[in-house]
Amino acid sequence: MKGALLALSELRTRLLWRRLTARGGLAEGVARATLLLLAIPTGLLFAVMLGAGTWQAVRAGGGLRTDVTATAVFLGIWQTWTAVTLSLNDREGVDLRRFLVYPIPPGRVYGLGLAAGLVGDPVAIFWAVLLAGILAGAALARPGGWLTLLALLLLLFAAATVLYAALLQELLAMALGSRRLREWATVFSVLAAVAVLGFLAASSARPLKAFAEALPALRLAQWIAWPGALAAGAARHLYAGRGGESLPWLVGLAAGGLAAGRLAFALALRQARSGGEGGARARGGALRAVLFPQAGMRGALWEKEAKYLLRHPLARTYGVLVPVIAAFVGFGLEPRLPRESGEVVRAVPLLGLAVYTHLSLQGFWLNALGWERGGARLLYLSPLDVGELLRAKNAVLFLFSLAVFALSAAILLLPSHSTPAWAVGAAAALHAGMAPYLYGLGNLVSVLNPRAASFAIQRSASLPALSGLAGLGIVSSVSGLFALPVVLALRLESPSVLIASWLALGVVGLWAYRRALPSEARLLLVRREELLSLVCGDDA
Amino acid sequence: MLAIETRGLSRLFDGKPAVEGLDLQVPSGAFYGFLGPNGAGKSTTMKMLTGLLRPSAGDARVLGVDLADEDGAVKRRIGVVPDGLALFERLSGSEMLRIHGQLYGLDRATAGRRAAELLEALELAEEGGKLVQDYSHGMKKKLSLGCALIHGPELLFLDEPFEGIDALAVSGIRRMLQELVARGALTVFLTSHVLEVVERLVTHVGIIHRGRLIAQGTLEEVRAAGSLEETFIRMVGDERPGPAGLSWLGAQGGGAAR
Repeated sequence: MKGALLALSELRTRLLWRRLTARGGLAEGVARATLLLLAIPTGLLFAVMLGAGTWQAVRAGGGLRTDVTATAVFLGIWQTWTAVTLSLNDREGVDLRRFLVYPIPPGRVYGLGLAAGLVGDPVAIFWAVLLAGILAGAALARPGGWLTLLALLLLLFAAATVLYAALLQELLAMALGSRRLREWATVFSVLAAVAVLGFLAASSARPLKAFAEALPALRLAQWIAWPGALAAGAARHLYAGRGGESLPWLVGLAAGGLAAGRLAFALALRQARSGGEGGARARGGALRAVLFPQAGMRGALWEKEAKYLLRHPLARTYGVLVPVIAAFVGFGLEPRLPRESGEVVRAVPLLGLAVYTHLSLQGFWLNALGWERGGARLLYLSPLDVGELLRAKNAVLFLFSLAVFALSAAILLLPSHSTPAWAVGAAAALHAGMAPYLYGLGNLVSVLNPRAASFAIQRSASLPALSGLAGLGIVSSVSGLFALPVVLALRLESPSVLIASWLALGVVGLWAYRRALPSEARLLLVRREELLSLVCGDDA
Repeated sequence: MLAIETRGLSRLFDGKPAVEGLDLQVPSGAFYGFLGPNGAGKSTTMKMLTGLLRPSAGDARVLGVDLADEDGAVKRRIGVVPDGLALFERLSGSEMLRIHGQLYGLDRATAGRRAAELLEALELAEEGGKLVQDYSHGMKKKLSLGCALIHGPELLFLDEPFEGIDALAVSGIRRMLQELVARGALTVFLTSHVLEVVERLVTHVGIIHRGRLIAQGTLEEVRAAGSLEETFIRMVGDERPGPAGLSWLGAQGGGAAR
């Protein structure tokens, strides 16, 4: 059995090596190394901050400062780690279904896949550096044997976070793949929204205040983030020098991690043995004629793109995840912004949401053709204008992104007391203005560096490292460009300058996008062999 | 009148020829079987003729149009079932057919009507609402054929259409294709390994071996007195001897460590 596992490890290593030594592999390798090099200093920066916080918490030796720091650090890391894993991470997992034929226990294959995903993921080093920062801060504050327990806590926390994230991925995949569950989720969301609105309407003259007062009851929800909560509990005792009292928390963390891992594996195995979606039927016929009234080729393209996007588990995940993050920010962070901070600062959460919505959907605009798989052949076999194809992809994605952004912004603004009114218009202008730049440059990346993308959210390998790096550069540059008017608006103390500038930038971007599209379409035609080889595995 | 004509058509991969100096002549209305052993260059040739691959050298005319000047007009007149298929797996079968028809220029109503008729003809009507990803391989092949036919092509390219599908489906597809060719409705260019089926279907044959065309003509001209399979084996090489060695095969446990 050991030999079979070794063979499996060798297989993955060889496949990775082949990919790195194949055409375009060098650039891919450089991109991975660059991401790694970026992750280390960024991680170090945050590790120093976390280390300093931990140093203070340990020196305080208990009390409010210790409790608040431990809770903030562990819940903060858990939240970011999980959000990145579920949305932006480019981890490559093992497709369990492909390995069921081999005489290797599937549990080991699954475990190996999780471990290999961590080793091959440049972002993973970031979390390791953060945890090392905590340990270093604690060691400087109070050297001693208790650090062994802290190291164990950090290891258990990391394992529990990874296993819980895997479980959440499996649960999301199951929920989003099952029509009945989706329908129940929709009904639940509608009922919840009605209940919230009813509560607000029936409350006193200050409904938002009443809602804010009801929030403590929601603190129970912190146990959704149990790896962070349990780790924080153990850390509070350890920092205060009560090693013995931390043990139940550590045992809880280990047991929780084990249970999450077992459940994640059981769900993965069930899914692998289910043989797909079990005859899922497509729907939406009645709505079709209303939504896609355009006759002919363009209407067909828009319809196909819309259906592909809306049936994609990743798109559905972002459709849920981005509003949830907006709710976290809206209810958790935004009310804590000091009243005396400037209008621009108070507008930052909403403006950030506009950028984050684009960022979360980057897999779709940076690898626009990767989802076509075998269907990509049709793009070249049919008398299709490939420029029209890119335009349809971008337009449909923009409409989806706009819907997700609008929903998330509404949730973010629900508890807001201080977001200035102009920020709504500015955020809409920012979201719309950035789109032509991101999509235009994304088309170029999609054509030059495509990759067959997985439809399973458990294996979110939708972007090659090089495209991920290019995306980082594109989002940073475009954000930089759109940050320039902020300086002007601050100097002139006129928010309307911001809206006008972003709209103007958007118009320029749209003009450039339209100018670039024919060239990108020509490039798509010229690169058909490489693209088919990478997207369909079509090696002629 | 020739539906396909190539002169010196070649394609190199990493400097090595996959297809070399191909001179094909496929008459209009013919049912042309393009045969060859694995790796002979059949799929590469088909990909060049359908625009998926650029030739390294030579000319090709499809339906009278030089492929070098092709601007999409020829694509509307041909249908293709490529190797590996070309289906959008997240669409349902009926959506796939209708949208495919629209991409080839049909209006929505016509494409929808034809999609329903094709689903009936291909015995997929009950599965029309299912996502393509949940179709069996044979069903995908049939759906792919439907896609290739929906816009009423004059020339049909079929790359291994009978591979991986059951005898019943082969028989149904064969009947449909024979009827269409007999009606004079289209020319078929087909590659296949299933020589018995090909022999019962085709009117013309071309045999490619190691990238070169080694025989071409009507079925009778090429096979002469023997069967097509005998002719094919004689031309591309003798039947290979059975495996020498492999004595561990059939032994208790197959020799694997327990």
